[in-house]
Order: sequence, then C-alpha cells, then structure tokens
Amino acid sequence: MLLIRLLTFLACLGASPAFAERAALSAALCAPSVAAKAEALRALAEAGALGGAAEAAWAQTLVVAVEARSFRCATGGAFIGEGDAALDAATLAPSPAPIDAAEMPINNRIRAAAASAAAALTLFTDVDPAARVEATTTLERRREALSLSILDAALAVETDASVLALLKPLRARMMLVDLAPENRIRAIEAIAADATLRNRTMISEALATEPDATVQAAGAAAMERIDRLIVIGKGLSTLYSGLSYASVLLLAALGLAIIFGLMGVINLAQGEFIMIGAYAAWFVQNAVRAVMPGLIDWYLIIALPMSFLAAALVGVVMEALVLRRLYDRPLMTLLATWAVSLLLINLVRVTIGTQNLEFHQPFYVVGGIHVVGDFIVTLNRLFAIAIAGLAFVGVVLVLRYTTFGLNMRAVAQNRAMAGAAGIDARRTDRMAIALGSGLAGLAGVALAPLYNVNPNMGTGFIVDSFMVVVLGGVGSLLGAVIASFGIGQINVIIEPLYGAVAAKVVVLLLVIAFIQRRPEGLFAPKGRR
Amino acid sequence: MDADIRGAHAIQVEGLRVTFGDFVAIPNLTFIASYGEIHGVIGPNGAGKTTLLDVITGKTRPKEGTVLLDGKIDLRRLSEPQIALAGVGRKFQKPSVFEALSVRENLELALRLHTRSILAELRGWADPRRAARVAEVLDEISLNDRADVPAGILAHGQKQWLEIGMLLMQRPKLLMLDEPVAGMTEAETRHTADLVRRLRAPDRAILVIEHDMAFVEEIATRVTVLHEGTPIFAGHMRDARTDARVRDVYLGRH
Amino acid sequence: MGGGMLFRTIAISLAALTLALPILGGPLAGSGIGISPYLANIIGQIATFALLAIALDLIWGFAGVLSLGHGLFFAMGGYLIAMHMLKEGYVNAGVVPDLMTFMGWTELPGHWAFFESFPYTAALILILPGMLAFAYGWMSFRSRVSGVYFAIITQALTYVAMLLMFRNDTGFGGNNGMTGFVSLLGLQMGAPQTAVLLATASTGAALAAFLLCGQLVRSPFGRMLVAVRDDEARLRFLGYDTVWPKLAAWTLSGVIAAIAGALYVPQVGIINPRLLSPEVSIEIAVWVALGGRGTLSGAVIGAVVISALKFWLTGFAPDLWPFILSILVIVVVVGLPNGLSDLRLPGLRRMRDGR
Repeated sequence: MLLIRLLTFLACLGASPAFAERAALSAALCAPSVAAKAEALRALAEAGALGGAAEAAWAQTLVVAVEARSFRCATGGAFIGEGDAALDAATLAPSPAPIDAAEMPINNRIRAAAASAAAALTLFTDVDPAARVEATTTLERRREALSLSILDAALAVETDASVLALLKPLRARMMLVDLAPENRIRAIEAIAADATLRNRTMISEALATEPDATVQAAGAAAMERIDRLIVIGKGLSTLYSGLSYASVLLLAALGLAIIFGLMGVINLAQGEFIMIGAYAAWFVQNAVRAVMPGLIDWYLIIALPMSFLAAALVGVVMEALVLRRLYDRPLMTLLATWAVSLLLINLVRVTIGTQNLEFHQPFYVVGGIHVVGDFIVTLNRLFAIAIAGLAFVGVVLVLRYTTFGLNMRAVAQNRAMAGAAGIDARRTDRMAIALGSGLAGLAGVALAPLYNVNPNMGTGFIVDSFMVVVLGGVGSLLGAVIASFGIGQINVIIEPLYGAVAAKVVVLLLVIAFIQRRPEGLFAPKGRR
Repeated sequence: MDADIRGAHAIQVEGLRVTFGDFVAIPNLTFIASYGEIHGVIGPNGAGKTTLLDVITGKTRPKEGTVLLDGKIDLRRLSEPQIALAGVGRKFQKPSVFEALSVRENLELALRLHTRSILAELRGWADPRRAARVAEVLDEISLNDRADVPAGILAHGQKQWLEIGMLLMQRPKLLMLDEPVAGMTEAETRHTADLVRRLRAPDRAILVIEHDMAFVEEIATRVTVLHEGTPIFAGHMRDARTDARVRDVYLGRH
Repeated sequence: MGGGMLFRTIAISLAALTLALPILGGPLAGSGIGISPYLANIIGQIATFALLAIALDLIWGFAGVLSLGHGLFFAMGGYLIAMHMLKEGYVNAGVVPDLMTFMGWTELPGHWAFFESFPYTAALILILPGMLAFAYGWMSFRSRVSGVYFAIITQALTYVAMLLMFRNDTGFGGNNGMTGFVSLLGLQMGAPQTAVLLATASTGAALAAFLLCGQLVRSPFGRMLVAVRDDEARLRFLGYDTVWPKLAAWTLSGVIAAIAGALYVPQVGIINPRLLSPEVSIEIAVWVALGGRGTLSGAVIGAVVISALKFWLTGFAPDLWPFILSILVIVVVVGLPNGLSDLRLPGLRRMRDGR
C-alpha cells in the first residue's frame, strides 16, 4: 500500500508542471467560499488563455462541466461526472469518483463567472469566427473571469477582422477601469488615438465615475482633441459628399453644356441618357454573368465604354431624326427633346419595367477608407469621382488637342465662319451630340452603385444640370466644373440641416440672383454670336 | 432748327477706348460728325466701325472716353431707349423691321409722341399727328402702295427703306446707317442714294458705314477711314482714294 | 381670310357652348341630345385648359417669352380655391378637412384665415399670382434674362414649388393635396347641376378671355408685343423700354392661368402637388406649339384637341398616351414649324389673329 502511495507520489512529482498546475486549478474549484470559487474560475480561464490550445481545451471542459453541474468535489480531488463513469478533472482520464464526491454548489455569482470563463476560453478554442464574435459580445457584459492578460493573449492569436474589431475596444474599456491611474491615462490615450464619436463616448462614460483628478484632466484633453478631429472629419465628409454629387452632376452637365454651347440645343432628354447608361451597365452585368462569370467584378469597368456608346448612339439617332431639322429654333428643340425624353422613359418602362434594378457591388465600390474623425472615404463615391475626373480630362484633351475638338470650338464660336473655313458644321454637331450624350451615359455607370436605377432616375438630375449650365456660362468647361462643385456643395451642406427641398430652393434662388448680375453666367461665351 | 446749328457738332467722341477682354477694338478715337453733313465711315472689316456705332447707341460701354450728343448730352449715362429718344436713329446692318406687322404698323410704332410713358403712348395711338407723320414718311420712302402689306413680304431693298423710314418718324438729330445698300441691286442702290441725299438737313447729321465705295462717293460730304479702331484719314472721298496710307490698309500692306 | 374666320368660328362655338350647356345639361339632360354631367365635367375641364393655353400663348406666341412653368400659376389658383372650399365647408358645415385629421391639427394654421370668404379668395386669386409673376418678371426682364435661360428657370421654379408642396409641414396638404370639397358658392360638389354650372362658367371664362385677348392682340399693345417678339433690340432702339410691355403681358398671363386653375380644381375635386410638376407645364407649351403659337385660335385648338385625345385614350389605354403624345410632338415640331396652323395656310409666314 505504501509502495503504491509512494509510486503515485513520485509519479505526481515526476509529472509535468502542467499536470501539477491542472490538479491545483481543479482543486481550487472546490474551495469552500463562493469568492474563492469565482477566483478559481478566473484562474482557470487565464491558464487556458496563456497555456496554449491544449490547456485551453482542458480548461474549457472543466468550465462547461461546472455550468452543466457535472463537476464533483471530493477530498481526493475533483471529478467530472458520477460514479464509475467519472473522469478525473485534472487528467480527464476515467477515474471513478469516490462516494463522498459532492456536486459543486452553484449560485448566480458562480454561474456568471462560469459563463464569463467559458466565453473567454471560446476565444481560444472555437474555429468559427462567428462563435468568437458572440463570445466577445458576451465578455463585454460578463467580465467576471476576464483579465487584461487574457485579452492580450486573445489579441495575440486572433486573425479575424470582425472579432478584432470587438476585442480592441473591449481591452480599451478594461484598461479604463484599471486600478492604476497611469494605466487609465494610457488607456485614454490609446482610445483617443482613433478619433471617433464612439470612442469619445466611451471616454466620457468612464470619466463620469473617475475619482482621480489627473485622469480627469487627461480625459478632458483627449475628448477635446477628438472633438476637433471629428469636426474636421465632418467637414471633410461634407466636402466629400458634395464632391461626389458634383461629379455626377458634372458628367451630366458637361454633356449638356457641350450640346448647348455648340448647337444652342437644350437637351431635355439628357437625364434619360444617364438612365440609358445605367441600364446599359445592367445589361453588361447580366452578359458578363452569363458568359464570363469569373469576371463579374469588372462589369462596371466593361460597362464604361458600352454605356458611353449606347447613350451616344441614341443621341445620334435623336439628332438625325429630330434635331437636324430644328436648327436655329431653340425653343422648338426644347419641346422636341422633351418629347424624346418622355418616349425613352416610357419605352424603358414598358420593355423592362419600373422596378429598381439590382446591381452587384464589386469590391472596389464596397466599404471605405477611414481617414479622420467619423469621415470614411466610401469607395462607391470615389468611383463616381474618378469617372468624372477621367471624363473631364478626356474632354479637355479632346477639345484642345484633336482636330475634332478644334472644329467643335470653331463651330461654337462662329458657325458661319467655321463653315466658310471648310468645317462641316453638321458633322461636327453630330459628333458633339454623340460626345455629350456619351458623357451622360458615363454618369449612368457612375450612378449605378450609388442611387436607385429606374426609368425615372434621370428626371432628378435635369433641373440641377440646367442650373449648372446656366450658372457656369454657355460652352465653358471651367464654368461647368465650378458651377457643379458649387451647386453640389450647397446641396450637401443644406440637406442635412434643412432637408433636400430646402437645398433645391436655395440653389435656385442663388442661381436666379446670380443671373441678375451676370446674365451670361460665370464665363460668357467668347466671340460674337 | 436754328441756323446756328449748322456746322455744329451733332456727335462728339473723344479719347474713346473700347476693349473686349484682352482685345482692343478701339485704342483711342476722336471723332466728330457735324450737322448738315453726310459723313461716310469706311475701312476694312474689323476696323471698329460697327463698334463705334454700338458705343454711340449704348449697346457697348467704352472703357474710357466721352460721347456727347449735340455738344451737351452725355450718351454714356443713358440707356438704349433713352438714347433713341434723345434723337439718335440707327439702322442695323441686318434689315430689322417687324416682319409680322404691316408697313404702316411698323411706321406707327416707330413714332414716340409721349416719350415718358408707354401707357400714354398706347392711349394716344389714334392721335392724328401719328397718321399724318406716317403719311409723310411713306411718301419719303416711296412705299405708299405697299402700306398695308406685311413687312416680311417686302423685297430686301424695300425693307431697308422701311427701316430708314422708321428712323425718320422721330426726326432724328443723328441718323446712323450701317451698310444701307448691302445686298441691293444697282437700281435699289441708286434709289437709296437719292433717298439719303434728300434726307440731308441742317439740323441733322447722317453717318453712313459702307463698303460700296461708289455709293459713298456719291453721297458723302466727308469721309473718315478707320483702321484697327484708329482714324487714318479724314476729308473728302476723292482725296481718300489717293491717300497712300488708305491704299496700303485696303490692300493689306499693314 | 383664314385667320379671321377661324377666330370667329371659335368665338361663336364657345358662345354657343356656354349658352347651350345649361340647357343640354339641365332640363334636356336625360333626352337624346342631352349632355350627362360626366360629359359636362369633361367639357368644363377642357375649357379651363383652353383658358390656360390662351394665357401661355399671350406671352409666348405674341411676346415671344416662353414659360415652362405656367403650371405654377395654374396651381396657385387651384390651391387658393381649394383652401376656400375646405375652409368654408369647415366653418359653415362643420366638415373637418382631411388634412387636419392627417396632420393632427385642432385648428387650421394662420395663413388660412379669411378663406371662408369667397370675395377674399377671389381677390387673392387675382392678386397673389399677379404679384409673383410681376416679381419674377421684373427681376428677369430688367436683367435681360430671356430665351432659354428664362424658360429653364421657370421650369426650376415650378419644380421647387412642387417639392415644397410635397412636404407635409408647409400646411397645404402635402403629398395628399386637398380634396373632399363640400360646396362652392352654394353649389354642392357632386351634384349634377354643379358640374353643368361649373362647365358653363369655364366655357364662359374661356370665351371672355378669347375675346378680350383677341382685342388685345389686335390693338397697338398687341402689335407692340409682336414687335418685342420679333426684334426686341429694334424696338428698344426706337425708344421703348421693352421691360414694361413684357411685364404687363407676363403678369396678365399669370393671372389668367390662375383663374383657369381656380375653375379647374372644383371640377376635378382634388388638387395635389403633381400639378406643379415640370411635365405638366411643358404639356401646356405643347398644346400651344401644336395648335399654332401666335394665334389664339391655334392655342385653343391645340389645348382642346390634345386634351380631348388624352381623355379619350386614357379611358381605355392609359399606357398608350405618353407614346402618342411624344410622337405627336416630335412629328409636329419637326414637320410643322408653326404647329397645325401650318396646315391651314401654307405660305404665310406667321399668322396673326383676326387678319
């Protein structure tokens, strides 16, 4: 008997320190007081967190047993399960439980600690990120078994972005209630480094119960810094939204300005060319999906030239059938283009339907880049801005460096003289219409990830586009840019304060007022008309 | 009108400078047209002739310079309608009559008896003075037999005469004709020359811009040649023909 | 001559209609040659459109100023009469307007005061649109804003007004508009005699405007407007400050349009912000262009033909109407520069009424 006991003792001595630890941890769970038990759970969680995957699995088994009320305490040790089917808590090897093994008493505090410990350990044992996200969320509520070392260990091994997004603020919050003031200050600084409204709220909540004056001061300073950055972020955000709205407006208005500047034609169907561009993009999406599904993410790029061509084609047809006979009669072309717009809207309505079209959102228009404060550079708007920028540059290059551009400028300034100089004014007109409509088609592609696409989508832009042309001056590219930007910004500044309608009212009143002083717009057309 | 006015300045332009953006249309112009004369203004295209007229009628504002009508009325301060009512009549380069109205209606409209109020003018439309003056001018421009025909139906030359007639309704002190015989036949040109000569009066200065040299020679008592907004010759037409600078400018040696 | 005869024909037709309606719609209603209240109502609506077309033609066909926002004046008249009918019904018959229930008001806001009085409302119908027209015209004509720029801004004005009226908090019924009218000047809405009487009033108004404007455009003032249209620069340089004739015509046009709206709304029984949409205003211009602008007869014919066509078609094939309208407009604008009047007297450049 003594020999067996000696051998067992020696075996215990010779066993790994881990084993000894495990035994100690298991035994600690059987401590008499509730507080000790809760502490034991915490220690268990920490051991599992820091000990590696096996340790974590073992610890979790124990915690689960506690929650399931199958943990048994006896004078010789701790067990899981009853009677002969029991397992030794430390080794998890089958070991019949002695008769005196008693159920571990549970109360709410222990239950809470166990839940907390279980959640903590899940961070190390479960491969499903969703489960870990849930565990983190649980830990935010139940911190009984949580410690900084556990969180640090979890942060060290965690790879999933959604889990990390929750773990970091949790750690920050834990730091905020650390016992040492210096640590709390450090926590505040760490949180303030990411200047968002959420973090500011976190700090201000912590400060509400903060006793230490230096920490209070540090917190106040940090909040001030965040406030400044948030204001900057808001300002940038407004600017950015305005920029993206202005970009789409520019694409639509540029085409309008070219057509109006060259031919004196007010194209009331310009909004519908945008719509055609958006619908063409949808067709391209469907085609790509059917023929080359692997390239589906690139359909927007493929759609760019397609939409341009589609809209340009419709424009040329409109010119050939309708506008050609209406030169020098601007008011009649107004009515004719309106009729074309009505026709286009109804054709689309009848053939495809009035529902909003579904667009797959490729990776390059999803999400955004966080810059400062709460300002995120959303990729879909960036896409629109990029298209507008490239299109504008393209138009400038064409106008300045190609023969076609030269012809267009000549005809715009003095149609008769251009004709006398051998420029085919009619042909130039046709190409100008193609260019102007094509630009609107591009606007349609830019809009697809941003707004609803349906037959009536163009009507919202037409009034604003006209304001741009009227304000910017006939045939002036720079004027169109400035006017787009101005009108876009005003819209975006006023809308969150007073609503979209107020924004339109303000824009209209400003344009009217401006036109009183300068009836030709920002940049008057050169040359005598 | 008084005999003193004869030879006095109907229109006096001094130090005129007109720019359009960077382009200097008229750098520094001094120009005078006197009562009783028919003053031809000639010069190659772009010389500033029409611009000069635009300044006088108030269509274009000069950068610098003075423009005085009758030696005392500063035209730069008046609006276009006011300038017309002050006694300046301008025939536009393109015949500008109201094509949808009859010849008679065109002339009726051209007479302002109540210059202060359009309402008063409308109320006083039946004023016998109006019909009387219309009859006089119809005679003057020889359009009596076309009086009730829509002006749009008139021949090109007749439209020009109608426009001149409309200007005459107000007995202008300064009558400015911008290319009155452009596009006219030989016969029409001669008719117009007769008409303009008849219009010469001691209380009226007539300014004629033209490219038809023969026409100018026939009617003008005095001629100014403009080149790039600057007068390079002023005097009689026959002297203009032999002036070296004028020849160079017209032959493009400048 | 064609123009004069057409003018007389239309005047006589309108007069005949005005005189016959009460009889054909009243005592003779059930008989073979009678007119049902439904038909009378349609005739009445078309008459208000004719009135509206006359208003636009006055300023566009004769003064050469295109407005693509005349719906604004039309709707103003409509909203004002609607407010009167609702207020009057509320005050005298205790009928609570829908919009009050909808907005949860216990009483109508301040700007509704006095609307139960018809003279007050009638005065406002003449004054408010006139003031708006005057103000906008004054600003624009003085700064020489004209042509397409002017037209575009009138579009924008009616568009913005529409947006404002769609909001529920402006106190004009929001996107539901105003409906549920009880009575007007003692006539019960929905009663057959009411439809006939309103229709008679509308044709009478159209006749009155047709004759008055006919006189006007034949007068020296009318010739002055034509001069403004054809060569404003020339007229200015005959000594006329053209702002005034334009402003006078523009203001008158706005007031006539408002009267048309005030006659229209009681006949359709509802007004909502859709009346302010840019498309409606453009349709008015289409009536005038198709009928022949610059001739009052043309305006009336255009309005009558197109709206009759629309009524007829939307009865059984509503989806077809936009197509027919757009193709009709394209064909006429491209093929017939002066509208249908080109079909009657080819060769004469522009027709004027009465000649």
